[in-house]
Amino acid sequence: MKIPDTPSLSNAKRLVRLGSLLGATVLATGCATVAHPNPDDPWESYNRSMFAFNDTVDRALLKPIAMGYDQLMPDPAQTCIHNVFSNLGDVWSAINSFLQGRGHDFFNTLGRVLFNSTMGLGGCIDVASMNGAKRIPNDFGVTLGVWGFDSGPYVVLPILGSSSVRDGTATLGTFAAGVSPVTPVFEIDNVPLRNSIIGLYAVDTRASLLDADKLVNEVALDRYSFIRDAYIQRRNAQVNSRRDGAAPPDYSDDGSLPDYSDDVDAADTGASPDAGASKAAQ
Amino acid sequence: MYSFIRSVFPLSGILRLAAAGFLSLSWLASGAALAESRVDASSAPNDFVQAVADNALEAVKKDRAVKSGDMASINKVINEYVLPYVNFEKTTRLAAGRYWRQATPQQQRDLVEAFKGTLIRTYSGAFTRVDQKSAFTMLPFRGDAKADDVVVRSTLSQGNGPSVGIDYRLERTAQGWKIYDLNVEGIWLIQNYRNQFAQQITQNGIDGLIAALNQNNR
Repeated sequence: MKIPDTPSLSNAKRLVRLGSLLGATVLATGCATVAHPNPDDPWESYNRSMFAFNDTVDRALLKPIAMGYDQLMPDPAQTCIHNVFSNLGDVWSAINSFLQGRGHDFFNTLGRVLFNSTMGLGGCIDVASMNGAKRIPNDFGVTLGVWGFDSGPYVVLPILGSSSVRDGTATLGTFAAGVSPVTPVFEIDNVPLRNSIIGLYAVDTRASLLDADKLVNEVALDRYSFIRDAYIQRRNAQVNSRRDGAAPPDYSDDGSLPDYSDDVDAADTGASPDAGASKAAQ
Repeated sequence: MYSFIRSVFPLSGILRLAAAGFLSLSWLASGAALAESRVDASSAPNDFVQAVADNALEAVKKDRAVKSGDMASINKVINEYVLPYVNFEKTTRLAAGRYWRQATPQQQRDLVEAFKGTLIRTYSGAFTRVDQKSAFTMLPFRGDAKADDVVVRSTLSQGNGPSVGIDYRLERTAQGWKIYDLNVEGIWLIQNYRNQFAQQITQNGIDGLIAALNQNNR
């Protein structure tokens, strides 16, 4: 019984194969010990393994290609390609602003797409930004957040990188349902052309990350924590800014209210017998 | 492959913006020189940040040595013009959280210096990205202007690249406003170092953290 090898089926097969490879690698790298457990990241030990795996793939494959592209492709062409993809992404941002009931953002982003697509020569030149209009990035993960879904634990996806249960579901769900920012590209019938565009999209994205990557390498004490905390903060801020505005972080466990929960120094052990004594005296 | 792309998109933005944010702080710094007669640290928080930022931007645009990434010039600018407006001790203290009280006064001083070094090194890369069209716009002040702890929001627009949302957290002191935290597109600087600090301290102690920061600085 031979099933015709449709493109989607062979893709599925490839995914399965990739999946088992990933699984094996993660098992092989083992589970890192968690030195400082974080309530937002209960799956840290798995996540760190996946992070290490992604990092290996990146260093072996994605980053070298992106660096080559960055060196060979003239800057104006790079900027143009980047802007065209951003312009496509803005269509998806506009749809999500609409779904969140943010009419102002929706019309702003729609206007930006129209302006850039015409005056900006098909999105090649970001004339909207040049005229001071700030891009309003948006996606379905934020939409779910605005609708009241909690982000759930932080999770590092294979190849995909930083995500959360909510955001990962949004990304994979919209892709599976055929309503994602790159659906128009996937609708292209000419397979070599389609794959070239997807490849270029990947390379452009990775290349735009090169500076940031360098920065993180230079300033982070622990790249995993740095990227995780940036991701969580950023996503929360995106959701909160679409509700009633975010309050600045509360650093108070340092301030006027001492937190003795895991202090075991002399001051505490000295203080607690006193407290016990005064209770006993009452 | 495509979904990889999508998912790194938010992060790519974040990281690029982080660079811009650090940059903005350094602009802030270098502007202070020209601004000395005009910056009033006891004025309204928005006016304070606006005055400092505008002057800073002008100064960086003019200074070729700083823009080319010359470390001596950058250090000079930061020491002379950023630090008077920043309470860096508070930044470090909050990043260290409850572990701050476990450190000796000497360790506290060393930690502040080491963390300062890390952030200055971050600025040095960002300085080179200033362009002639870069400009700061303050957003309307929200919150209580009489409070002692306020947030000033701004947008940094650039000729070559997307605009960036940058917020400053200020505290009122006897000498006027002092900046102690910075937010770039939703990411607060202190918040992003707290877990890393705690991790290093639980593993290697406060001296271990100081050593790790200094190693980065080399």
